[in-house]
Amino acid sequence: MKILIVDDEPLARERLTHLLTELNHDYQLIEASNGLEAIDQVNNEEPDIVLMDIRMPGMNGLEATSHLMSIDNPPAIIFTTAYDEYALQAFESQAVDYLLKPIRKERLEKALNSCSKLNKLQLEQLGQQNREISYRTHISAQIRNNLFLIAIKDIYCFLADHKYVTVKYNKEGALAETIIEDTLKSLEEEFENSFLRIHRNALIRKDNIEALQKQSDGRVLLKLKDLPEGLEVSRRHLSRVRKLMKT
Amino acid sequence: MVFSVVIIGELLAFILTLAPLNMASQRWNNLALISLFIQWNGLMCSAVLCLLRPFIKNYSQQFIAISSYLSILFILALLSELTFYIMQQYAITDIISATSHWEFLTHNLLIGGIISALALRYFYIQHQWRLKIEAESCTKLQLLQARIRPHFLFNSMNSIASLTRTRPDVAERITEDLAELFRMILRDNHELITWSKEKELSQRYIDIEQQRLGERLKIQWHTDTIPDNALIPALLIQPLLENAIFHGIEPEINGGSITVSGEFDSTKLKISIQNTNSKNLVHRQGNKMALSNIRERLHTHFPDNASITCHEKDDIYFAIVTMPYQHKPDE
Repeated sequence: MKILIVDDEPLARERLTHLLTELNHDYQLIEASNGLEAIDQVNNEEPDIVLMDIRMPGMNGLEATSHLMSIDNPPAIIFTTAYDEYALQAFESQAVDYLLKPIRKERLEKALNSCSKLNKLQLEQLGQQNREISYRTHISAQIRNNLFLIAIKDIYCFLADHKYVTVKYNKEGALAETIIEDTLKSLEEEFENSFLRIHRNALIRKDNIEALQKQSDGRVLLKLKDLPEGLEVSRRHLSRVRKLMKT
Repeated sequence: MVFSVVIIGELLAFILTLAPLNMASQRWNNLALISLFIQWNGLMCSAVLCLLRPFIKNYSQQFIAISSYLSILFILALLSELTFYIMQQYAITDIISATSHWEFLTHNLLIGGIISALALRYFYIQHQWRLKIEAESCTKLQLLQARIRPHFLFNSMNSIASLTRTRPDVAERITEDLAELFRMILRDNHELITWSKEKELSQRYIDIEQQRLGERLKIQWHTDTIPDNALIPALLIQPLLENAIFHGIEPEINGGSITVSGEFDSTKLKISIQNTNSKNLVHRQGNKMALSNIRERLHTHFPDNASITCHEKDDIYFAIVTMPYQHKPDE
């Protein structure tokens, strides 16, 4: 069995490694020190179980879990935490596996033997009950069975086209795009502070607006920095775009 | 509450039967009848007030008090009328045969009015008292948590559990650090200690966190100018360092650095704690208690000329404490 230990504190990882080796010498152990590394490790190593700390820099455990849940065969996840009043209440109410640090060997063994896979519903509930740590810093897309992350700050816009939503983003200086599974409506709600709807099919990052261009046929296009072609602004959303540009 | 109403009603029934001195022979019969009447009233009023609760609970206290009282009087009048009618109809007793209809009604309203006013007042005071106890225990808990972040305690325990296997000597030292720190935290912290002691406590705290955060936590001390014997409120610096770690170091993958610097000019001390602020979009929700707690304690010791201010400049967060220089008498 392959187990991934995710924790930002070296001492916490060290202790779990010791405990797990004592439980079974044959466990294959791998480590990650934050959510981003954890996703890399899951992509490359395909562990069976992930022991996931909740509070970590870069990407916290809840967000990493929400990304991992979108791959086809996600690992089982057991949360670990030293103290999280609200998260624990949520875990209790959703019957999600969690371990309190310092973790007891017997509790760890029990959790490993009985761990079940999280379902989407449980995860959604966890997010709703933990507003403070449930924001996403990344969007995930699945490419050939691998999970692939795009930082929110690199995204120019989301464009809806029939069934799919395409995200245009900055990939190491170059413009790139990929298809994601989120809907435009849910993205608009989640990122209402940093993104603005300008058309039925377009959501753009607010701090990336360059200029409004009126076309000869009466349409209004919005020019974004670093994006060659302008995006159409619908009449319904025009006033809000103007208001934003004034401030 | 209903139980209290029953008891109060029964006590009233006793008083009413015992009060007239000349009717000894009929006393027990009267008690039964009066009890029946009062309990009927009392329980009816409780029931109506319970039913009224959802409609009036959002109004002001005055409105609630007046409307409750008026509805009680209304029920009293209604039941008195009903009783009078039943008794007359069936001639159950001669208690009321002697009294007129009007007299019976005013009597009941007066006695009932006085007793229900007292009862309402009693329930109000009891409720206030309960609220006060709840509020007190809540603040006590918050105060304690302002001094000890539960995260810190449990994370330290975890570090110790881990170190015990691999580096028992470090585990031993961290346990000692933790003990010393908690001894001070659990003391009534309205006292002044010397700067050298405060600095030592802060360094013990950093020592514990250093084990946990490793290279991510970098700290520099430029406080040599502050005299060792300067007196400052106990545990003034440690919570500020804790804040710096919580907001500046922990949210960053590569950590950050903290600088503690001091200035001294023979009458005044100025201690500033600077930390690189996390660039993460969402700031962690902190515990605002720490700052207000420090402000309060500074005010207790130096009512007019001490302060703590915070500001952010070029991604550096500053917390600056100034206070007058007081020192321990030289031994």
